[in-house]
Amino acid sequence: MTTLPARRSGETTIRVVFVLTFLVTAFLIVTPLASLLYGSFQTGGPGAPSTFTLKNWGDLASRALVHTLFMTCFISVVTSVFSTAGGAAMAWLVYRSDFRYKRSLVAAVGLSFFFPGFILGMAWVILGSPGGVFNDILEHLFGPDVIRFDIYSATGIIWIQVLHILPFAFFTIRGPLISMDSSLEEAAYASGATPWQVVCRVTVPLMIFPVMSSLLLCFVLSVEQFAIPAMVGIPGHVHTLATELYLLTSFSPTNTGLAAAVGLSMSAVTGLSIFAQRRIVHRRMAPTVTGRGYRVRELSLGRWRWVATAACVFYVLMSFIIPALSLIYTSAIKFFVANPFEAAWTFRNYVQLWDNPGTLRAFWNTVLVAGGGAVLGLTLGVLVAYSTHRLKPRGHRALDILACLPFGIPGIVIGLGFLWSYVYLPIYGTLWVLVFCYVARFLPYATETVGAQVVQLDRALEEAAWASGANRIASFRRIVLPLLRPALQSGYFLLFIAYFREIAAAALLYTASTQVLSISIWAFFENANWGVASALSVITTIITVALMGAVMRAPLKL
Amino acid sequence: MGISVRNLVKRFGDKTIIDGISLDIADGELVSLLGPSGCGKTTTLRCIAGLETPEEGRIEIDGEVVFDSASGIMVEPYNRSIGMVFQSYAIWPHLTVFENVAFPLRVRRRPNAEVEQKVVRALEMVGLGAFRDRSSQQLSGGQQQRVAVARAIVHAPAVLLFDEPLSNLDAKLRDRTRAELRKLQRDLHVATVYVTHDQAEALSLSDRILVMSEGRILQQGTPEDIYHAPTDSFVADVVGAANFLAVEFRGQGLDGIRAVTRDGAPVRASTGSVPPGPGTIMIRPDKLRLEPAGPSQENRLPGTIRQRLFLGGHFEYLVEVGADTVRVISVVLMQEGAPVLVAFDAVDCVALAGAGAAVS
Ligand SMILES: Nc1ncnc2c1ncn2[C@@H]1O[C@H](COP(=O)(O)OP(=O)(O)O)[C@@H](O)[C@H]1O
Ligand SMILES: [Mg+2]
Repeated sequence: MTTLPARRSGETTIRVVFVLTFLVTAFLIVTPLASLLYGSFQTGGPGAPSTFTLKNWGDLASRALVHTLFMTCFISVVTSVFSTAGGAAMAWLVYRSDFRYKRSLVAAVGLSFFFPGFILGMAWVILGSPGGVFNDILEHLFGPDVIRFDIYSATGIIWIQVLHILPFAFFTIRGPLISMDSSLEEAAYASGATPWQVVCRVTVPLMIFPVMSSLLLCFVLSVEQFAIPAMVGIPGHVHTLATELYLLTSFSPTNTGLAAAVGLSMSAVTGLSIFAQRRIVHRRMAPTVTGRGYRVRELSLGRWRWVATAACVFYVLMSFIIPALSLIYTSAIKFFVANPFEAAWTFRNYVQLWDNPGTLRAFWNTVLVAGGGAVLGLTLGVLVAYSTHRLKPRGHRALDILACLPFGIPGIVIGLGFLWSYVYLPIYGTLWVLVFCYVARFLPYATETVGAQVVQLDRALEEAAWASGANRIASFRRIVLPLLRPALQSGYFLLFIAYFREIAAAALLYTASTQVLSISIWAFFENANWGVASALSVITTIITVALMGAVMRAPLKL
Repeated sequence: MGISVRNLVKRFGDKTIIDGISLDIADGELVSLLGPSGCGKTTTLRCIAGLETPEEGRIEIDGEVVFDSASGIMVEPYNRSIGMVFQSYAIWPHLTVFENVAFPLRVRRRPNAEVEQKVVRALEMVGLGAFRDRSSQQLSGGQQQRVAVARAIVHAPAVLLFDEPLSNLDAKLRDRTRAELRKLQRDLHVATVYVTHDQAEALSLSDRILVMSEGRILQQGTPEDIYHAPTDSFVADVVGAANFLAVEFRGQGLDGIRAVTRDGAPVRASTGSVPPGPGTIMIRPDKLRLEPAGPSQENRLPGTIRQRLFLGGHFEYLVEVGADTVRVISVVLMQEGAPVLVAFDAVDCVALAGAGAAVS
């Protein structure tokens, strides 16, 4: 008796869906990377006559670029260490100590989390530039030129980035901390350990993997940062790889080939870090229990409570409240003066926004790209997550790796990749380029959010649908999708926010007709039109925070 | 026409989980798959449902070939006429009780009036008539189980498949539900496969029991057959508490098989046929009697009481008999350490080839 492989009609459906998903994903992610690789060996820019060369890769070793590489790593390592230390300390305060203002702190950190980086950067330029608010105050207090505060420096970049990235570390570390089996700590108390001994000998060693994971992620976030080093570093002649790439691409003499080589090197750094981080995550982050909601013993802070409170208040002031106030202030005065008592108040900045067709257009573009694009991004994310976590047909591992790649590729590099590849496509110069680029860049956001819930979904729920007579598509539509709804909602808004405030990729890809809000703000700012830039920032921030507050309560909860 | 399975083989990787199983189930018959956890019961059931693709074999449901490795046929689960109750019940949390039960009819695009009427009837059959508009998340375990059963029967499938449907219920509820399930299945008169590792469930529910071990069927028969005349010490152990005495068989007489224990005491068993040589005699604990110490005779073995447990209605004794330890259920009060005679009748003894499992 010879055995034939049994044919299943359902397999065909799966195969077709999987192959389509794979092709779209590969097209979105491989094309820009391949074009970058191609471009790094070309003498001319995209669309220009050009020949093969190795010069770009040779130029990478130039003193200036090596120095930039070191500067990027230095800034990122310091940023990462401070962000993780601060984030871990705050997570510990909230989840392991008797800190008084836990709810407020989590809410405040959440606010900072959603505060767009380029707006924070702009606010800090207003605050910390030589003619800015802080120096004005210092001058009044101590007289001219005694103490000065220069935001246009590596320290300035680090300062703003730490403020911006710290919430990320907080949210990375708090998950494992919450789900850590608290009986491990209780066993230590029962063995006679003092609270500090428990922290040092049990909590910290158990949290070592989550902390390492946070260090690597924050490092990557910092390397990827474009807007902050651009606003603060370029005037101060402190360059990072991201700003260097931007300068090489956008200011003559342009050298897109060299930019491609820089971008690929950057991706190598971030990609390796992400790879290491994933290895750590896969090696079980910390011993956990599920379903047991024991309240952990809270460690009494005693006299240190005031220090902890002061530090947290300081952080919240610096990362959100003061920058937000300074923007509101700047948006409401006629000409920038550091002293509010000398200011001439006005609404004209907001009125000007309304009267400016360019801004309205940018607003409309942003709504289209973020609102509509997120639908496409989420759809692809669902298909990828469902394929890699549930269907697992042949080739699903390749798809998984493919979909994870953008995690390790900085936004500005993907932007450059799209610049290189889409010049040749008819959609060049339309909003579609931005949409495609964002879908690719933020695909991991969608796949991670949806995937986490797909994994949780009891397989039997779907099998019960088949046993009841529903075919694959019907059971997916009637059972799987409704059960994934919470993940779909949060995934959609996560993507919406990400697309809404993305600036790095947009900086390379926008054209006059495809300008988006983030670019408009930046353009006003670069033209020294701080008032209008601030007004637009205030509006953008309100939209972002309101959306997140309304829909994504989860990250803000205790 | 029921279910017919021929030479089913299922592998996961290079592990063979189902190793050539064949079974036939007639319309209206309830057949249990009984065996220890991990022996492949669920996998067999899932192969019948079409949730797993077997490597080899042939499966027919209601006369229709739904799987045949020889001709490459594999009918998807949704095209088989089955109703299935999952171990976890798999109640869809986003649908009401009514919509959960209505689902099989909805995907078959039945008109609303028919859906309404059939769902109401199914819910009434499982005693959930009043729960139709409940959210399925407000149900207790027992109610979820009933919804799962209603969902499995609502579209009148040709076969019913149950995967340990009572294992998530507490003991009292389990006994009651067992009786209800039996009645339901009788009323529906549909071929049913019932997977369980609980011998009481299998014995009380089944028309026929298939005892499985490591992907094979060891023995099949009516509950009485399997319980009283197991052909294998593993089967004897799986379907109920069993004592095993190591003996040397001497040969078949007119009144049964004669044997001697390792201490030389004579034993006679009237069930089973085993060639002369070393073997085992199986006796159920309730068939052993404790008598005052005296001289050893046929089927009266001297022993010492090692442990006594009071279990309410009766005592359970562990008695050392020569090199073996046997479990005895008795209402007689005796002291630990006392010498006794363990007595039994030849009709209660089953002769088995090979060694038996030790009483722990
Ligand atoms: N999808 C699978 N992949 C690999 N092994 C499996 C899979 N499903 C079941 N098995 C293995 O098959 C064996 C039998 O499983 P199962 O049929 O669930 O046993 P039972 O229901 O009798 O407890 C077990 O050893 C189990 O580990
Ligand atoms: Mg099972």
